[in-house]
Amino acid sequence: MNDTILKRLLPLACGAAFFVAGCGQYNLVQAGDAAAPAVKADAQKQENVLKGKIVGKSNKAKTISIEVGKGDAAKTVMVKFDDNTKGIEHAVEENAAIIEFTGAGKNRLATVIKPKLAKLPQGTSEMKTDELAALMNSGKKYVLVDSRPAGRFHEGTIAGSINIPVPDMKKNGAALLPKDKDIQLVFYCGGPT
Amino acid sequence: MSTETAGQAVKLGYTNVKVMLDGVPGWKKAGNYVVASDNFVKKGNIVLVDLRPTKEYEAGHIPRAYNVPIDKLSEAEDDFPTSKAAPIVLYGNGDDAKKAYKIVKGWGNKKGAIAGVDFAAWQKAGNPVETGATPEEIVWKRILGKNEISIAEFEKIAAGSDDKLILDVRTKDEAAEGKFANARHIPLDDLQEQMESLPKDKEIVVHCSTGARAEMASTELRNAGFASRFLVANVECDGPECEITE
Repeated sequence: MNDTILKRLLPLACGAAFFVAGCGQYNLVQAGDAAAPAVKADAQKQENVLKGKIVGKSNKAKTISIEVGKGDAAKTVMVKFDDNTKGIEHAVEENAAIIEFTGAGKNRLATVIKPKLAKLPQGTSEMKTDELAALMNSGKKYVLVDSRPAGRFHEGTIAGSINIPVPDMKKNGAALLPKDKDIQLVFYCGGPT
Repeated sequence: MSTETAGQAVKLGYTNVKVMLDGVPGWKKAGNYVVASDNFVKKGNIVLVDLRPTKEYEAGHIPRAYNVPIDKLSEAEDDFPTSKAAPIVLYGNGDDAKKAYKIVKGWGNKKGAIAGVDFAAWQKAGNPVETGATPEEIVWKRILGKNEISIAEFEKIAAGSDDKLILDVRTKDEAAEGKFANARHIPLDDLQEQMESLPKDKEIVVHCSTGARAEMASTELRNAGFASRFLVANVECDGPECEITE
């Protein structure tokens, strides 16, 4: 657990400039397309980046697929990896990640994979899982809010949660949350996306 | 997503807002359990397990529940669906459901959960109750996801089809051991390069050895304008004889 926290904080500390530059949902910074000669990309030492949700990883084919973009613009991009790819442990299905790669099209090769860290909105702070477990046993008042779609909530949620998916929160948040504005609210969803 | 809703709460004037960034996956990984809703217990496509002693089960249980007493659960692993995606929902006496949840997680099950009610609460709430012996066999059928093809339909195509093409995206080594007689073999790695050689007028049905690569390939194909579905199942071939299991 503590190891994971450290691992997740490190890239933030080292890559602050990078995060400031790339707060969008995803950036596919890439010169030319699949048809562009690979030599050109090599010559420019182009650093390409994909950000999004990992949707598949095949160890047999050594390929990761990552969904980039949102809504209608969403598409799945495949990237290969090899023994030199750093941070392959962050290529976990359903998790958000940032993949740096070289090459283009079929020859995209991941060089570094980092977990994509969610940005906490102003006025909020993070609660770790063990802190939540402690809160649940403390007898203190709190309201747990599961922000995932209703289907996921019904399948399995943290005991005692209410379900307010993003669209409902936008439409009707004030009515769905408790009246007491100072009560401890804890929001969570399907992981760091 | 939770960061978005938490941000909204701050805007609405809430003063004490936290976000558990690790979310449900982190919660489970830390050894905690999740609870299924009553609605899911009633209507979900689940394997509902009553962990109480058989006598209690037979006197009354939640409809659709199978009886696997808690002390028999570990040895009953093989009676459960092989699919790790089968939601196994557990209820019993005292802390038994929590103990059982750990056992089921240990099998690699991804969607296990504890029922939000025990039997007493279920009955008290006026919900329907069944009596009698447990069914002999645990039966669970996957509901196909988007763009998935059923094993039955896939097998028909494997037996011969004019308007559909089976695409095998396993590695060369895997395909060398055997493949469907009427399948095209293009390793996932080479798909983008060889995509143009595939027909646009036939639906392309993709398989690999489990479904992971097939899904990736099928998505790529659809993105490129092909009609495609994929098979989520274990495929093992010996020459032209292939066995498909869930």
